[in-house]
Amino acid sequence: MTDARSAIFAAIATPSRPPADIARAASALLARVPALRPDRVGDDVAAAFFARVTGPAIGASGAKVASLSDVPGAVGAYLAAHDLAARVAVQPHPALLDLPWRDIVAHRDIAVDEPVAIGIADYAVAETGSLVFRSGAHTPTLFAFLPLHHIVVVRADGVMAWLEDCAAAESRLPAPRNLNLVTGASGTTDIEGALVRGAHGPGYLHVILVQSPL
Amino acid sequence: MSTAFTARVDAALADRTLKIAIDRTTGTARSKRAAAVAAWPHFQQARALGRDIKAHVTANLAHYLAEFERNAIASGAQVHWARNAEEACEIVIGLCRQAGARSVTRAKSMLGEEIGLPHALAEAGIERVETDLAEHIVQLAGDTPSHIVWPALHKTREQVGELFRANHADPGALASVEAMVGSARRQLRAKFMAADVGISGANFLIADTGAICTVTNEGNAELTTTPPRVHIVTAGIEKLVPSLSHAMSLLRLLVRSATGAELTQYTTFHCGPKRAGDADGPQAFHIVLVDNGRSKMLTDGLAEMLSCLRCGACLNHCVVYRHIGGHAYGGTYPGPMGSVLTPVLDGLETSNDLPKACTLNGQCQEVCPVMIPLPTLLRGWRDRSWREGLEPATVRGAVWAWRLMVMRPGLYRLATRIAVPMMRLFARRGWIAAMPLAGGWTRHRDFPAPARQTFMDQIRQQRGQS
Amino acid sequence: MVAIVGQTKNIALSARGRKNVSVTSIDTPRVGLFVTCLVDAMRPRIGFAAIALLEAAGCVVDIPQRQTCCGQPALNSGDHDGTVAIAQQTIALLEGYDHVVIPSGSCAATICGHYPELFPVGSPWYERASALAGKTFELISYLADIRHWSPDRVALAAHATYHDSCSGLRELGIKAQPRRLLAGVAGLSITEMEGAETCCGFGGTFCVKYPSISNAIVDEKASHVTASGAGLLLGGDLGCLMNMAGKLHRSGSPVRAFHAAEVLAGMADGPAIGEEP
Repeated sequence: MTDARSAIFAAIATPSRPPADIARAASALLARVPALRPDRVGDDVAAAFFARVTGPAIGASGAKVASLSDVPGAVGAYLAAHDLAARVAVQPHPALLDLPWRDIVAHRDIAVDEPVAIGIADYAVAETGSLVFRSGAHTPTLFAFLPLHHIVVVRADGVMAWLEDCAAAESRLPAPRNLNLVTGASGTTDIEGALVRGAHGPGYLHVILVQSPL
Repeated sequence: MSTAFTARVDAALADRTLKIAIDRTTGTARSKRAAAVAAWPHFQQARALGRDIKAHVTANLAHYLAEFERNAIASGAQVHWARNAEEACEIVIGLCRQAGARSVTRAKSMLGEEIGLPHALAEAGIERVETDLAEHIVQLAGDTPSHIVWPALHKTREQVGELFRANHADPGALASVEAMVGSARRQLRAKFMAADVGISGANFLIADTGAICTVTNEGNAELTTTPPRVHIVTAGIEKLVPSLSHAMSLLRLLVRSATGAELTQYTTFHCGPKRAGDADGPQAFHIVLVDNGRSKMLTDGLAEMLSCLRCGACLNHCVVYRHIGGHAYGGTYPGPMGSVLTPVLDGLETSNDLPKACTLNGQCQEVCPVMIPLPTLLRGWRDRSWREGLEPATVRGAVWAWRLMVMRPGLYRLATRIAVPMMRLFARRGWIAAMPLAGGWTRHRDFPAPARQTFMDQIRQQRGQS
Repeated sequence: MVAIVGQTKNIALSARGRKNVSVTSIDTPRVGLFVTCLVDAMRPRIGFAAIALLEAAGCVVDIPQRQTCCGQPALNSGDHDGTVAIAQQTIALLEGYDHVVIPSGSCAATICGHYPELFPVGSPWYERASALAGKTFELISYLADIRHWSPDRVALAAHATYHDSCSGLRELGIKAQPRRLLAGVAGLSITEMEGAETCCGFGGTFCVKYPSISNAIVDEKASHVTASGAGLLLGGDLGCLMNMAGKLHRSGSPVRAFHAAEVLAGMADGPAIGEEP
């Protein structure tokens, strides 16, 4: 193994430059980004995010609520509109567990074929309409992949403009095991190029944008 | 031209269903990409940036590899190195055995195909479950991928329906593509959760964190890499980027060029194994870094090819690919990028038709998100094939004879003066339907008869020049 | 007799084509016409059309007598040494002219794009190749961009479609120029076909080395030509035109094919490709 490693490094034999020079060249490349990004964010990043994620390209459904306490009501409305049983897997995140779920049966464990799960995104990116999940004790990765209906709460003040803002935010934090950017429901075009939702991951994505700070 | 290549091409061209299947998927891909590009006014500058990011990585490859390794190890990953396909498979099989794996799930990775991982797993007696829908279809059919983004692009819905009916436990009616996708979902659900090891590739290796990036639209990568005890990544050493920010610039280009979307549905950065307190994730995280000819490309004039993001745009826009499909190329990677890579992987002797079976029309370079000069690289292989004496004697002889005349203008003039009226002997009403030595042309189309006199003879008479 | 004004202009040919080319603006340039081996042997009319157009655009046209072929077959076959020898011969033949004009995008691209690549950067032959590349032009774009010529009192009552040959389009940025000039031909209407920028499957020696693939490509191309409803197929490269015309004729299509130069020179009342005079 060590043999393979040294053989590969010997074969590459790129001239060694001072790391500071390489770092300078790498950041010079990034300096070009703001001038060439697709300009699609505008001033109200939360509005831009919501429009994008619910637009035809991503095709998620969405609701806006004033505060976190309105979330159970919004979930109930979604369940009723889709004729779903009032039973949801709730991501084990304090912000969600503490909500008054009332007539919705909320459980923490997610089944392999969970019909509905509700999660909370750490933040979102307006440019692409992406929800960002940082895996951890309160954020199991599988919550975003096992349910058929994936309902995601995200705060309006947690919406960032650009993918680079997401990268910058992450560079200030210890990297989670998984950083998941979710941009729409699962889909496949593997059979004759026809788009079908719900390939392996969720078939439906519903975004609840919470307008007030948590 | 090798008979094996010709036979594959002829079989592909005779398959009407194949052309329909190719047109359906590549046609959609082309129009969606065109719309995405049209909506991005600075696309050309972005391509130039993408090219420059990858060139920067290639120029400092050893630096970034070492940085990535250091950070990956710090995150708890175990990093392995493989010089070639055999070593890579040996490492992966060894890790599977070490984990006592009976079943592995796999998320589509072209590198896995390149190193022959499916075959190696079968030989080791380990159950392999392909989780990408297209790879699942390919696996059921006992087939190989024919496109790097849509591996089952050569299958029509009817063919997929038959496969699922024969192989799925609960196929249902399979009356629509939706029903087929639903059947695959039911079939694979339990497999995801039961696997001992999940194997993925990587679209990017992030040097400054040691994370690896996967992109999928189905969500199968995360379902492959999260439940099993062990996650093994196989990745080419060229997949590096300096940082997450650099990856973002390349993701914008990659996804638009591949499917016309702005971002894949699931874009995940995997960094190390399950942490203390994590709700889920694998206990062990292995990264196998594979050379397999890449370091040699650096010194063989193919460094620019190390920028390839594997988006498939060059395939979708290639007139040759769109007629013969992926299998005719005979390698892991088809289309223009494949015609550059296959001689590296399989040797030029057995694949020197690929760089030649190209009209050099340049559309591949025009759509490449990182501006790889594919036609130039293909010409490079042609030069090498000529230099190494791999061209048939008939071709060498013909080019030699033609060159002899071109280099002697007097003789050239005489030869055309003789050849032109001779050609006219085969013409009827202006067209030649068949002529000796012209079968390649006249088998399929008519050849216009030349004028009575060459231009140079006519002009000399007109202008009285000698 | 050749007036040299002497100021230098930067002419941006196209965003996706050549880089800015510095050309000495000359009132009456002495132009070397390189007709190409195909035009010489197969369709001299294109050469005469080129002469007429260049003269109408104020050029003094000379036909270098020792011209043969630009070397593309050797270049595309990988015969590097052969290509170098032919390039040197061609450079020596043409470098004395103010401008060199070629009625073919692919032959012009060979000289403009590939000749300099054949020699080590900075070597004397590299310099000579680069100098020639800087003053070599494809005919239609030369008329439009350098000579600012436009057709005057040229008429053709016809409905045409235009095929963008790949080398001209992608290596030289020729796209708008032929359409702009053809728009000045009275009575001529142009309908764009599906896939006008898609290769016709000619590819030089490709079409005889891989005839079945070439056929599949040109077959689809011919169906797009026919579907456009045009009666005329126009283009700027004889090789592509012969390929498409040959397929159209084999399949019984009545579509007739001309080089754009023939139309612009008012010579499209004569025989189309494959028609007897």
